[in-house]
Amino acid sequence: MRRWIAGRTAQAAVTIAVAAVLMFVLMRVTPGDPLARLMGDRPMSAEEVAALRALYGLDQPIPQQFTRFVSGLARGELGVSIEYRIPVTTLIRQRLPASFLLGGTVLVLNFTLGIWLGALQAVRLGGRLDRWLSTLSLAAFAMPSFWLGLILAWLVGIRWHILPALGMIDPLLPPDAGVVVRSLDILRHLVLPALTLSIVSIAATMRYQRTAMIEALREPYIRTARAKGLPERHVIWRHAWRTALFPVITLFGLWLPIVVTGSVFVEHVFNWPGLGSLTAKAISGRDYPVIMGASLLAAALVVGGGWLTDMAYAWLDPRVRHAA
Amino acid sequence: MASRSRAVFSTSIVFGVLVFGSELACAQRAATIVIATGQEATLPIPTLISGTGNQDVADLLFLRLAALGPSLRTAGDGGFVPQLASSWQRRDSVTLVFDLDPAARWHDGVPVTAKDVVFTFTRARNPATGGHLAPAIRHIVSVSAEGARRVVIAFDRAYNEQLYDAVFHVQPLPAHLVGTVPDSLFASSDFAQQPVGNGPYRWGRRVAGQFVELTAVADHFLGRPHITRVIFRAAESPDARLIMLLSGEADASEGVVPPLSNLERLRRHKDIQLHTVPGSIVGYLLFNQRSPDDLSRAHPVLGDARVRHAITLALNRHAITRSLFGDFGDVPNGPTPQIFWIRGLAGPAEARDTAQARRLLRQAGWRDSDRDGVLDRNGRPLALTLNIPATSASRRQMGLEIQEQLRGLGIRVELSILAIPVFIERRNAGRFDMEIAAASMDPTPSGIRNSWSCQSVGVPNANVGGYCDPRVDSLMAVALTTSADPAPLWKTVLLQIRDDAPAAFLYAPAKVVAIHRRFGTVTLTPWSPWSTIYQWTIAP
Repeated sequence: MRRWIAGRTAQAAVTIAVAAVLMFVLMRVTPGDPLARLMGDRPMSAEEVAALRALYGLDQPIPQQFTRFVSGLARGELGVSIEYRIPVTTLIRQRLPASFLLGGTVLVLNFTLGIWLGALQAVRLGGRLDRWLSTLSLAAFAMPSFWLGLILAWLVGIRWHILPALGMIDPLLPPDAGVVVRSLDILRHLVLPALTLSIVSIAATMRYQRTAMIEALREPYIRTARAKGLPERHVIWRHAWRTALFPVITLFGLWLPIVVTGSVFVEHVFNWPGLGSLTAKAISGRDYPVIMGASLLAAALVVGGGWLTDMAYAWLDPRVRHAA
Repeated sequence: MASRSRAVFSTSIVFGVLVFGSELACAQRAATIVIATGQEATLPIPTLISGTGNQDVADLLFLRLAALGPSLRTAGDGGFVPQLASSWQRRDSVTLVFDLDPAARWHDGVPVTAKDVVFTFTRARNPATGGHLAPAIRHIVSVSAEGARRVVIAFDRAYNEQLYDAVFHVQPLPAHLVGTVPDSLFASSDFAQQPVGNGPYRWGRRVAGQFVELTAVADHFLGRPHITRVIFRAAESPDARLIMLLSGEADASEGVVPPLSNLERLRRHKDIQLHTVPGSIVGYLLFNQRSPDDLSRAHPVLGDARVRHAITLALNRHAITRSLFGDFGDVPNGPTPQIFWIRGLAGPAEARDTAQARRLLRQAGWRDSDRDGVLDRNGRPLALTLNIPATSASRRQMGLEIQEQLRGLGIRVELSILAIPVFIERRNAGRFDMEIAAASMDPTPSGIRNSWSCQSVGVPNANVGGYCDPRVDSLMAVALTTSADPAPLWKTVLLQIRDDAPAAFLYAPAKVVAIHRRFGTVTLTPWSPWSTIYQWTIAP
């Protein structure tokens, strides 16, 4: 088992390294000048442009740029943002809490409500609740999140004035406000973006969980459990649900990166200061250091999510554990 | 039943706290203005500034020696109002002397001295530390102090924009705080994160990705600001800025048009009033006069002034501008935004004249010999690519209208929508036929030299179309140095540019600013709308 874990971990590390090399090279062969945003619409002398290229190491060949990046990485540095002119690590540190908060909330809502509602549908298969939830989840799944976000912002923020439509904190709140007041303020700002992202993601999880649960409930061991006279609640939650969790665990691994990357559209609509919008802006402006920092983080989470899924499978399923 | 009641009660409490929590901040609202901006202010430090987000904040933190007055006239010494300098005089034709206001103080209480001004000009004149400022003040040869309060600025030549160059570009920094910071560490220094200025507002705080807060200097020498807090709230998305205004989460925002659909929404809002100021932007359809394949050769189609002029005449520029800006934009007769005092000197822009356009194309040898609806010459169809930055919805709309209007004349236009870095890379490399460009200009007409003179050909982000007419260059040189009224010379410059047709000048919009009605005595400066906010009042 230990060898299997070590092998999986090594595999994950190699995957991240390969992804980093690929991202580094692809970024530099993509057309577009990373100094474009700095230039804006004002003229720049050739000397000024050359000085900026030298400052960011853009005047060096790609292998040398990569060496510089790797040596920085070894020191825990990701370079300096071309757009913001501050270290990328600082920039990521500033944006990460917002991403964690939004992504974490969505993940928790998604996998608690989604799993519960999906299982409930399967248990009441064909009933009114199942039909209603199926219709609702399909409608939610088909809804583009940016559109839903705009509608919610308009309705709740502009028409009803009951929740803030944008941002993460109210700038009018005094800086010395107490922890409770500040937490409440963040919570109020979190509602709409979290709701927008959750509605769509819960719908997906519900669909997965419902299908898996229906299949599990048709298995012979469920019939056996019922024949043995076990209480129905026991049959459903201890026997069927545990098996039906496997596809959702895979889904969890796939959703994990959202904690960091967020949703670009939702961050954009609600002006949420997360890493997603920062990365999107960096990509459109070719801010190489920021793109590399954010992509590495995302790659690590994607690979980490896969690794966690494997571990969870091994823990939950004795067949996987013994094979390992 | 009891558990259901408990659930309803708990839910009501949570909902109530969330909904009515907004009251927590309401008490702070009265004397505060929240401004929604498109760019986050990350480095609002003179000599390091790039972008309007930083400039807006810097203009409230750091004063200039003098500010351009409402006439917007940059030539001569008459159009300026005192700021850090209480007075100025001319020692001779190449020397200006400024006397600093003895009441001017840095926000840490230290008086503003001539040493600060000399220090900042030294930084600004050095291309390594002054960045884009160095070329703007290239005619300044020395800046020296005479005592603590007098600054002497000497120029290498006599010209009529000396005072403008001396006061507009450079905002003094505190030498006692910045002097010890190594140049290479300045952008990441404590000062850059917590700037100490001399303006009517001092630095409060910055919440990354969210807002910057400034607080009023109660005993400021220019007068006590009525608005005690200014918050610049960043939102890159125009939709988000509109939502902020409509939901009451922001009190003001500039650039609310285009799209025109915003107008109705804002006009319907009972608390919002729209103001306009002359805009600093001019937009144009730029013609590349050099061959994209070989910059040393003329463009096979657009190298001919008759073709360029024909395209200009074929466009219904008034309709294009109106569809985007409504009454808030007009068609300029040259590279002249609304803030230029010389605009209007050359009369109105030429109206659409498709008959004349066809004549010019025929003269240039373009005919539809194969009757396919596209003009051709020597077997080559009159087909051109039009580059448009993907980020601008307005320019995409304009591109479609231009494509349609030129189709009627027999010119095939292929639209190429490009990401900004690719768009800029191609324009600087001269790899394009036509592009829809927009330039944000300083108030001085001398800025025309940046994009429309022989000396700026090949300079990145400058004269990328390769336009060069030595007559225009010499006329501009005389217009800038003459001691007589330069207006007639500028008129000739504009008429010559019109005849050369380096671009079809499309639009010069006003800046449309939305402001909450509770603010009174609203004055807006065209190049920095919020810089006079300290003079605004608040309705009781």
